[in-house]
Amino acid sequence: MNTWLRRVWYLLNRPRHERDLIREMNEHRESMHDPSRFGDTHRLLEQSRDAWGWNWLDDAVQDLSVGIRTLMKSPSFAILATLILSFGIGLNLTLFQMIGVGLLQPPALKDADSWVRFLRAAPGSTTSTVPYPLTQFVKENNHGVLASVVLEYQSAVAWGRNAEDHINASFVSSNWFDEIGYGAAHGRVLSETIDGPAAAPVVVISYTFWRNRLGADPNAVGTTVYIDRKPVTVAGIASADLPGFDFNVPDAFLAIVQREYFYPQSTLLRSWDDEAVDMYARLAPGVSVAAAREALRTTMQAAAADRSQIKKDEWLEPLSARSNFMRDWERQGVLAVVSLMGALTTLVLIVAAANLGNLVMSRATGRVRELGVRMALGARRTRIVRQLVIESVPLVLMGALGSLGFAWTAATLIAALGGFPPYLDFTIKWGTVMLAVALGLLSLVVVGVLPAWKVAQQQLIEAIKDGGQHVSRALDRTLMRRVMVAAQVAGSCLLLIVAGMMIRTVQRAIASSEGFDYQRAAVLSMPLGRYGLKTEAARNYWYEVKARVLAHPEVESAAIVTAPPLGGRVNETNFRDTPGLRTLTQSVDPEYFDTMKIPLMSGRTFAPGDERTVIVSRRLAMEMYGSIDVLGRAFPKSGADDTIIGVAADAHTIRPDANDVAELYRPLEVADFSYVEMVVRARNEADRLPPILREAAMSDPRVIPSAHAMHEDFDRRMQGPRIASAIASGIGVLTLALACLGIIGVVSYGVALRTKEIGIRVALGARQPALLRSIVRQVLRPVAAGAIIGLALAIPTGLALASEPFYLENADPVAFGVALTVFGAAIAAALIWPAMQVLKRNPVDALRHS
Amino acid sequence: MPRAAGLPPGTLSLLILRVVRQEPMHGYAIAQKIRTLSSDQLSVEEGSLYPALQKLLANGWVKAEWTTSETGRQVRSYRITARGLKQLESEQDDYQRMADAIAAILQST
Repeated sequence: MNTWLRRVWYLLNRPRHERDLIREMNEHRESMHDPSRFGDTHRLLEQSRDAWGWNWLDDAVQDLSVGIRTLMKSPSFAILATLILSFGIGLNLTLFQMIGVGLLQPPALKDADSWVRFLRAAPGSTTSTVPYPLTQFVKENNHGVLASVVLEYQSAVAWGRNAEDHINASFVSSNWFDEIGYGAAHGRVLSETIDGPAAAPVVVISYTFWRNRLGADPNAVGTTVYIDRKPVTVAGIASADLPGFDFNVPDAFLAIVQREYFYPQSTLLRSWDDEAVDMYARLAPGVSVAAAREALRTTMQAAAADRSQIKKDEWLEPLSARSNFMRDWERQGVLAVVSLMGALTTLVLIVAAANLGNLVMSRATGRVRELGVRMALGARRTRIVRQLVIESVPLVLMGALGSLGFAWTAATLIAALGGFPPYLDFTIKWGTVMLAVALGLLSLVVVGVLPAWKVAQQQLIEAIKDGGQHVSRALDRTLMRRVMVAAQVAGSCLLLIVAGMMIRTVQRAIASSEGFDYQRAAVLSMPLGRYGLKTEAARNYWYEVKARVLAHPEVESAAIVTAPPLGGRVNETNFRDTPGLRTLTQSVDPEYFDTMKIPLMSGRTFAPGDERTVIVSRRLAMEMYGSIDVLGRAFPKSGADDTIIGVAADAHTIRPDANDVAELYRPLEVADFSYVEMVVRARNEADRLPPILREAAMSDPRVIPSAHAMHEDFDRRMQGPRIASAIASGIGVLTLALACLGIIGVVSYGVALRTKEIGIRVALGARQPALLRSIVRQVLRPVAAGAIIGLALAIPTGLALASEPFYLENADPVAFGVALTVFGAAIAAALIWPAMQVLKRNPVDALRHS
Repeated sequence: MPRAAGLPPGTLSLLILRVVRQEPMHGYAIAQKIRTLSSDQLSVEEGSLYPALQKLLANGWVKAEWTTSETGRQVRSYRITARGLKQLESEQDDYQRMADAIAAILQST
C-alpha cells in the first residue's frame, strides 16, 4: 500500500489504533520486572502519533477551536471583521457575477457560437438595421454559408380593445423560437410551419408580461387580445428564461410575415428603402465569421445589380455572438470598463484586508505574554505563526461566506433596480464560490500570515518579563503597520476621487440635457407608415395635426422630427473624418431648435425648399473642421455631399449620457413623414399635453396615437447612471469610513500603550496641544504618504477615465477640492478624536491606578 | 529514546528490523532479544520501542497482527515485509560502511 494511503487509513481508524497501542504498551509494562524502565506512556503515545505524521492536524484543530472561542468571546470584533471582509470580497464577487452573467458570456442561445448579427456596411459608415426584402434575398442566395436567418423588428403597439395602452412588441420571423432553442411555458410558440402569412394571426406573450399584466392567468392561452385594435389569439406564453439578443425581451412576439394583418397598407415587407429589421443568422457548420463576410459580398453585389437601393461597395458585416454582437471597439470598451471596475473592487479588498490585518495585529500584541510562555516551553516560531494563522481562519471563513451573501443580495438588488430581464440568472455559481475561496485565501495572507509572521519575529520570551510592553510598542511601530495604514488611506483617497468623477458624469448628463429643454416638452407618436399613410398623405396629415396642436392655448410651439429627444432611435455613423465620434443624424423641421430650446450659434434654421443642406452641432464642427466657422462649407469634409447652413449648440438629445457623440440635423424629406414624431412645448406644464395631443391626432380612425411627457423618458434614461453613481459613491464613502476606522484603531491602540508615559508627561505639566502632536505624529506620516500616493494615482486614473471608452467627467477644481476637503476632514477627525478621548479622561488617573 | 541509551539516531529501527527478520515477535520479546543479543550492553528505555515500531508500520516495513503467545496471552506480533527486508539490507550496508570508516580513522596513527 502506498505510504500516504497507509497514513490516511491510520487517520481514519485512529481510535482503534491508539487503543491497540495502549493495550500493547500496558501488556509490555506488566511483563517487566521493573516497569519504571518502560518510560512515560503519554510521551511515548505522543511520539507514536508523530510517527504517523498527523500531529499537526491535532494542533490545527486545537488552534481552530481556540480561534472560534476567541471570536465568540468578542462578538463585536467578530461582526465588524466579518462585515469588513464581506464588503471587501463581496464587491469583487458581485462584479464577477454581473460580468459573467451579463457582459462577457454570449446570450444563452442554442449553438451560441454559430450566431452572428449582420450590420449593413459601406465604406465610411455602418447601420445596424437592414431592409426586410434584403434579408429575404440573403436568405435565398447565401451560397450555403448560413444555416438560418432570424429577424426582429421592435416597435411600440397599442394594447387593448380601445387601444388604451401601449406595449413593446417584436415582429419576429416565425422560426425565432425554434432557432434560438426555446419553447413555451404554456401553449405554443411561433412556428414556421403554422404561422405563415395567411394563417390566423397569433401572439406569443412574454413570461414577464404574462405574470405582471395578465396576472399569470393559465387560461390566457387561446383568448383573444387586441393589438392596434386588431383581434389576435394568444398562442402561448414564452418560457421565463427566454433570452433576448440585445438584453431586451419584448412584451409580445408577433410573426413578421403577418404584419400586414395589423397594418394592411404597410410596405415594410416590400420596401427596399426602409432600413427596418435587425438581422441575425446562424452560420452553417464549419463556416467562420470571416468566410461568411466574404461569401456574402457576392450576395450583396447580386442584390446591388438587381436593386438601386443597394450600392455596389456595400457588404454585410457579421458580429459574432461570442463577442455579444459587439464591434471590436465596443467590446474593448466593455473590457476596459470591466478591468477598471475590477481594479477598483480589488482596491476595496486591499483596503478592507489591510484594515483587518491591522486590527488582528493589535489584538495579537495583547497576547505577547501568552505567546512568550509558549515559546519558553519549546514552541518554535513556525508553530507560533501557524497558531496565529489558523486562529484567523474562522474569521476569513465567515468573511468569505458573508461575501457570497453580499454578492447574491447586491446582484439581485442591482438587477431589480436596473430592471434587468428575468432570464439573467444571478444565483451563485461554482465559479463565484471558487473566487470567494481564492480571495479568502488571499485575505488570509494579509489578515493572518503577515501579522503572525511579524508577531513571531519579536523577542517574545522577553515579553514574559515586562508584561509585553516592549514587544507591543515595537509591534505598534512596525513598518508593516504603517504600510497598512498608508494603503488604506491611498485606496480610499483614489476611490473617493473616482466616485466624484462618476457623480460629475451624471451631473453632466443632466447638464447636457440643459442643452435642450425637456422639462416642458411632450412627444406625440403615430407611425403613419403602418396605416398606409405615406409621403404627401403623411405630410398633410402631420401638418394638419401640427396646426391643430398649435391652436391649443396650452401649446407654445411644436416641431416634427424623425427621432425625438431621449427616446428616439437613430442610425449612428462614424465618418471617416471623425473616427472616434459617433454622429447621430436627425431630420427636423425648422421649428425644432426653437421648440427644444437649442440655440443656433451661427447661421440659420432650415427653410422651405432647402435641399442638400445640413446643420451641424458645435462638437461635430470642431472635430471635423477644427472651427465653428463652417457656414457654407461642404459636408462631410471628405465626401462633400451637402452644405452647412448652421451650427447648433451641443445637445445630446438622443444619448444624453454619452460623451463620444455629436449631432447632425437634416431637413425633413417627404419620405420621412411616414415615421416621424412630434415634439411639443407647453406654455405651462408638459403633463397637461398628452391628452391634448392624442385628441388632435385622431382625425383618421385607423390611426392610434400615443403621447407622453418627455421627463418620463429622461427619468428612465437616467436610472442606470444614477444607480451606478450612487453605488460608486456608496463604495467611496464606505471605504473612507473603513480607512478612518483603521486610523482610529491604530491611534487608540498607540495611546493605550503609552498611557503611562502620557500620564507622566501630564503630571510634569505638558500641554494638551504638545501631547496631541506627539500622539498623532506616529500615524501622521503613513497617512500623509497614503494621501500623496492616492492623489498621485488619481491623476493617471482620472486621465484614463476621462478618455475613451469611459468618458467620465474630469473632476473640475471645485469638485476635486470638495472631495479632498471631505477626505481631509474625515481623516483628521479619525486621527484626533481617539487622542482627545484619552486626554479628556486625564491620564494621570491611569498612572495612579497602575 | 535510543539516544538516551547511547544509540546513534535511527539505529533502533535497524535493530528491530534485524531482530524480527528471523521470526515474528511481539514488543516485549523484541526488547528482550535486543538486550540478550547485545549482552545487556544496549539497555534501551523499553517503551521507546513503540514509537520506533509505529514508524516501521507507517513505512510499511513491518506488519502487525494480534496473536496468542506461548503463555496464552493476546500479544501483537510484528512481521517483517519484503520492503522491510530491502530496507534492512540497505541500512545494514550503510551502517557497516560508516562503522568501517570510523574504525579506519580511529585506528590510524
